Amino acid sequence: MLIHRRTLIKATVAGGMAATLTGCSLLPGKTGPQPERYAGAVGLPDGRFGVSAFDRSGNVQWQAPVDTRCHSGCNRPGRKDTLFFERRPGWSFYVFDAETGQRRHRIMAPEGEHFVGHGVFSPDGRWLYATASRYQPGEGIVAVYDAEQDYKRVDTFELAGIGPHELTLHPDGNTLVIGLGGILTHPDYDRIKLNLDTMQPALILMDRRSGQIVGRFAPAHHQQSSRHVSVSTEGKVYVAYQYQGPLYKRPPLLARIEDGQLREYRFDPETQAALGNYIASVVAHPENDLIAAASPVGGTAIVFRGKTGELVAKARITDCAGIQTLAGGDFLVSSGQGRLVQLSAGQPAKDIARLPVQWDHHLV
Amino acid sequence: MQPITRLFFASALLVCTTAALGANADTQAREQWHGAIQNGYESLATKTEQLASAAVGYCNAPTSDSRPALNDAWLDAFLAWQRVRFVDFGPVENNNLSWQFQFWPDPKNLVARKARYLLGTEAPVNAEVINQSGVAVQGFPMAEYLLFDEQLNSGENALPAAKNCEVLSAVTRHMARNARGLADSWASFKQHYLDTGPYRDTTIKAGMTALEILEERRLAQPMGLRGNGKRNPYITDAWRSGQSLMAVEATVAGLEKFYLPGLITSLKTDGETELAERIQRQFEKVADNFPEAHAAMATLMESDERFRILQGLFVDVSQLSTLINDEAAVALGVVRGFNSSDGD
Repeated sequence: MLIHRRTLIKATVAGGMAATLTGCSLLPGKTGPQPERYAGAVGLPDGRFGVSAFDRSGNVQWQAPVDTRCHSGCNRPGRKDTLFFERRPGWSFYVFDAETGQRRHRIMAPEGEHFVGHGVFSPDGRWLYATASRYQPGEGIVAVYDAEQDYKRVDTFELAGIGPHELTLHPDGNTLVIGLGGILTHPDYDRIKLNLDTMQPALILMDRRSGQIVGRFAPAHHQQSSRHVSVSTEGKVYVAYQYQGPLYKRPPLLARIEDGQLREYRFDPETQAALGNYIASVVAHPENDLIAAASPVGGTAIVFRGKTGELVAKARITDCAGIQTLAGGDFLVSSGQGRLVQLSAGQPAKDIARLPVQWDHHLV
Repeated sequence: MQPITRLFFASALLVCTTAALGANADTQAREQWHGAIQNGYESLATKTEQLASAAVGYCNAPTSDSRPALNDAWLDAFLAWQRVRFVDFGPVENNNLSWQFQFWPDPKNLVARKARYLLGTEAPVNAEVINQSGVAVQGFPMAEYLLFDEQLNSGENALPAAKNCEVLSAVTRHMARNARGLADSWASFKQHYLDTGPYRDTTIKAGMTALEILEERRLAQPMGLRGNGKRNPYITDAWRSGQSLMAVEATVAGLEKFYLPGLITSLKTDGETELAERIQRQFEKVADNFPEAHAAMATLMESDERFRILQGLFVDVSQLSTLINDEAAVALGVVRGFNSSDGD
């Protein structure tokens, strides 16, 4: 029997928002830091943008307004900072109090640079690494900030390539894993892709202390734009592509490093078609060998086994993009229509909540 | 055969038949779209070729007769582009062809900056230079600047000045070459387009996006209906030539001619004949705003009385947009999402 529950909240900053939880009274707990809180960039019904955090009961804890649409963010280990980066070209990132949503800082990109939507902290929570672009020469960089000096810029690492996007930290605590999309854009030219014929995407491994590139892996085809990355607890490195060639071609969209090269995953033709040549998120579960990927273009989310490539769940979720790992081994997928859907291996997808927001690409 | 089994087979047959009908209708719609868009692209190729010839003709023998003919050739080609501008997939994606034809919006006025640079350079501006100069140089806005910019055309570089002629000839030749290539590539693309089911939704979304851009960025924003509420005719396209609204008319006409037939096939297959007819009637309502709305947008913003002409057009475009982007999209199960249209 379905239990419908609407959590009413006071008309504060939340503006009357609440999750409609279906089939459960509490959202599942997350893995990792801040297991009791979900945060994401959102588009609001009136066309404005914000960052929203809610608890497992579906109560909106806070909703902070932002000037322009944000993309993804990260939580600072051991502290109560939640960061969100503006969507590319991002001229700033925001630092919020994770519990109240109060804005602590807004850090602007230096002249000539913009952020691209992603960042990650060192394990001790001191150093923030953010992917960015020097847009005149089109050079991808990792910008390093010291959170203990109010997010002062302290270093810059060169990527020797164009269009970095997501980065994450390897469980060794030292290696940054970076998706280099390879696509040249310039803020004066909207989002025009300026180099589709000559792009050189890569999956890059970088020593976070020295900035030395310690590994560089090119996808099989030069138009497999390598945007999103994830690493399992055992250190298996995954990358997801957004293919820039025509729709009638169906190249693999997911790969992982194996024996010093990229091993590609190709699913059955129907699944390949359902992914629309575009993966918006890839996430490896820390408790098992399962990987989830979401395609808003294809309106499809999948879960597969990393070792065998076996597809174990597939769901049609219109405009799905964000993925969060849940304690116990499942995934939570968010959509631009406000849905939160639980995916489990070998089980039908379970709709567990709907909020009156458009969830942007990544849950934090 | 047991009744229950017969029923099962009958239902299965019905499902198969319905599915087959749907697949056939999808193919039929894509055949209609492909053929219609081919016609639009061929017209673009013809009109841009005529523009390139007119530029050379005028520059070789500038007369009071040939200048209006050159301006008209630019407009004819520009309107041919407006009619197929909604197509945002397939060969027009190659080498950013769509952006090459029309770099817009241009908030930093890159077209003027690049034009001034090219007009000031001593080195010859040939095909190779245009090829290397980026999308702000390679299409209609650049040709429009050279032909219509008031400041330029009251100075020493006004047409038929040799340097302006050199740049105009190279730019229009580039456009003609692109248009011919696009029409040919679209013909080669046919089988892929017909064989690939997802192009049905891609095509429907292309028209939806075009209508949204038309309603919001080409009408609502310059009319001051969004943001700070100030009227600003310079943020729409083709303001230099005063042809923003001719372009709007052509975009709607192009959607009616090249997009609507396939859409109607899809709607009727899904039992939405009544909606298809309402959409058809709304296209006619938008068209009824012309020729009264043919004036320059800046002119229609000068008085409240004239502004009402613009408001009437906006209301009709807006209703068309609602019919297609909300009602038809829902009926056909086509969604343009917050994330799916983002690109990151």
